[in-house]
Amino acid sequence: MAVVVIDGLSKQYATGGDFAVRDVSLTVADGEFVVLLGPSGCGKSTVLRMVAGLEPISAGTVSIDGRVMNQIPAKDRDIAMVFQSYALYPHMTVYNNLAFGLRRRGVVRAEIDRRVRRVAGMIGLVPYLDRKPHALSGGQRQRVALGRAIVREPKVFLFDEPLSNLDAALRVSTRNELIKQQHALATTTIYVTHDQVEAMTMGDRICIMNQGEMVQIGAPLEVYRAPADTFVARFLGNPPMNLLRTILTQAAEPALELDGMRLALTGWSAAALAPLIGKPVILGIRPEDLYETPAEVASGPPHLVDVEVEAVELLGAETLLLLALAGARQELIARVGRSTGLKVGARTRIALDSGALHLFDPATNKAIPRTA
Amino acid sequence: MRPWFDYIRRTPLLLFLLGYTVLTGGPFLWVASMSLRTTAEIFADPYALPGHLHWEKFADAWMQSNYSTYFWNSTIAVGSAVAIVTVVGAMTAHCLARYQFRARRIVRFVILSGLVLPPQMLILSLFQILLDYHLYDTLPGLALVYVASQLGMTVYLLEGFFAQIPQDLFDAARMDGYSDFEIFWRITLPIGVPAIFTTVILNFVTLWNEFLYAVVLMTDDDKRTLPLGIMHFMGSHQLDVGMLATGLMIAIIPIALIYALFSETMIRGMSAGAVR
Repeated sequence: MAVVVIDGLSKQYATGGDFAVRDVSLTVADGEFVVLLGPSGCGKSTVLRMVAGLEPISAGTVSIDGRVMNQIPAKDRDIAMVFQSYALYPHMTVYNNLAFGLRRRGVVRAEIDRRVRRVAGMIGLVPYLDRKPHALSGGQRQRVALGRAIVREPKVFLFDEPLSNLDAALRVSTRNELIKQQHALATTTIYVTHDQVEAMTMGDRICIMNQGEMVQIGAPLEVYRAPADTFVARFLGNPPMNLLRTILTQAAEPALELDGMRLALTGWSAAALAPLIGKPVILGIRPEDLYETPAEVASGPPHLVDVEVEAVELLGAETLLLLALAGARQELIARVGRSTGLKVGARTRIALDSGALHLFDPATNKAIPRTA
Repeated sequence: MRPWFDYIRRTPLLLFLLGYTVLTGGPFLWVASMSLRTTAEIFADPYALPGHLHWEKFADAWMQSNYSTYFWNSTIAVGSAVAIVTVVGAMTAHCLARYQFRARRIVRFVILSGLVLPPQMLILSLFQILLDYHLYDTLPGLALVYVASQLGMTVYLLEGFFAQIPQDLFDAARMDGYSDFEIFWRITLPIGVPAIFTTVILNFVTLWNEFLYAVVLMTDDDKRTLPLGIMHFMGSHQLDVGMLATGLMIAIIPIALIYALFSETMIRGMSAGAVR
């Protein structure tokens, strides 16, 4: 049980070089599951390694339960980590892999045996205790790695992309298994991944990182529904959010001019939009907020937009439409029901949910938050 | 594919292997057969097979010509040198492969430069150093020279192998609470066993046959090693070919034993990289 506080954490590999991580601050509550999400090279693993004590900290602090950990060696931080490569000791049996950390900590033999067997029972490793890692499948190895972390009963779990070496089907089942174990143990967890599905399904909160900086943190749906900038908007969601170039105008009320069409804006105060009047803004809308007919629109009055269907992707449960705006070369993707009758080349009028529009300032790429 | 075609296809390879085997195994078998014949028999017909097997020649070589002393000296000097060079070399290789430290490249360069310096260049200075430290004409002195001469090769081979062990394993052991030395002892060494056996065999064979350092640095007959002892059978006016062959066969025995014991592991070491 532990609270992890990361404060102003930075990492610079060579003096004067670029920051691999810059000024990341984050508090992980006791028993919370926080996911660090971002593309490869964004610094999320570096943050994890600094928390683990495997990487020296250039600036900032990492504290666990109020105690600053910067100078405490990894072995004394009471943290267990699961690695992407599993990092199982190849010359030891599964049993010894699980017991290795306990032996060093001076746990008595009978207690080691009890804990190893209990954990092996929990995650279905009992039949494999005498095998060496090379005689296990990928999924079994992954479970040994997980078991090695659990058996230590640490204050904090760290996971560094633990599922990325598994095939798709196994990944889903292992993901569920992991969620179940974490809930049962209620151990504070920091989990690094570049897979947004893992992040959305596993985390109590998601912390999104880009180019060494923390971009946004929040509950999965909160981040999905209100992305802080265009990076988050594009990174979360598959297919990603549509981003369209528009001009903000104001006649009687603020509106967007999108390739000759006029979309009235509701939900933003005139004061918030005033500085941007007459300037370009980025309009964001998720593929699922586009509808074939105005009647389907749920949350706000529909905007109708003329489009031409460029491609149709039948995915079975749903259909993706690649649409070109009638007036210009901008494209957008719509996610519609599987029963759509639209064919390539068809001209149609598609409905945008006005309650689901997002605005971003092209100068900063930051979201312009709704005021109402 | 029909079997006869297969045979034809393989013929050149088989011929090559046969030729190579005759070339390498032939002289060995010849010496082996001579070791069981007397010098007179050999001079009468050098290539004949032994008619009567003179096993007593092995006992004679061992007892009458100080051979047991040479054998013991070789065992002491080579055995201790191989033990020391293995431990020191493995530690050095582990440090070079795992840690970033100041002057790492220089340390590495100095150690590996031992690979390219010919022994003839070093022999005078070694002679002087051993004299200064009262190690000249002593087995410990010779063993230390052997350690120095093989350290470069040992570090070179082991570092390459150790560097392939995934860093995650070391990180995992650190998270499990192990110190740097324990990690070397419990992770690097057991995983590196194939490579370590490879260096043990190579060093043993090289040093067991070493002649130059031994001939310059050892003068007392009771302290000489096997390669010098074999020289005894080669006088300046006469050559006792029969006893020479017997002496050579005795000298080969430990090497053959070591190879038989460790060859499996050594081949695994040669085809390294299969850590995971």
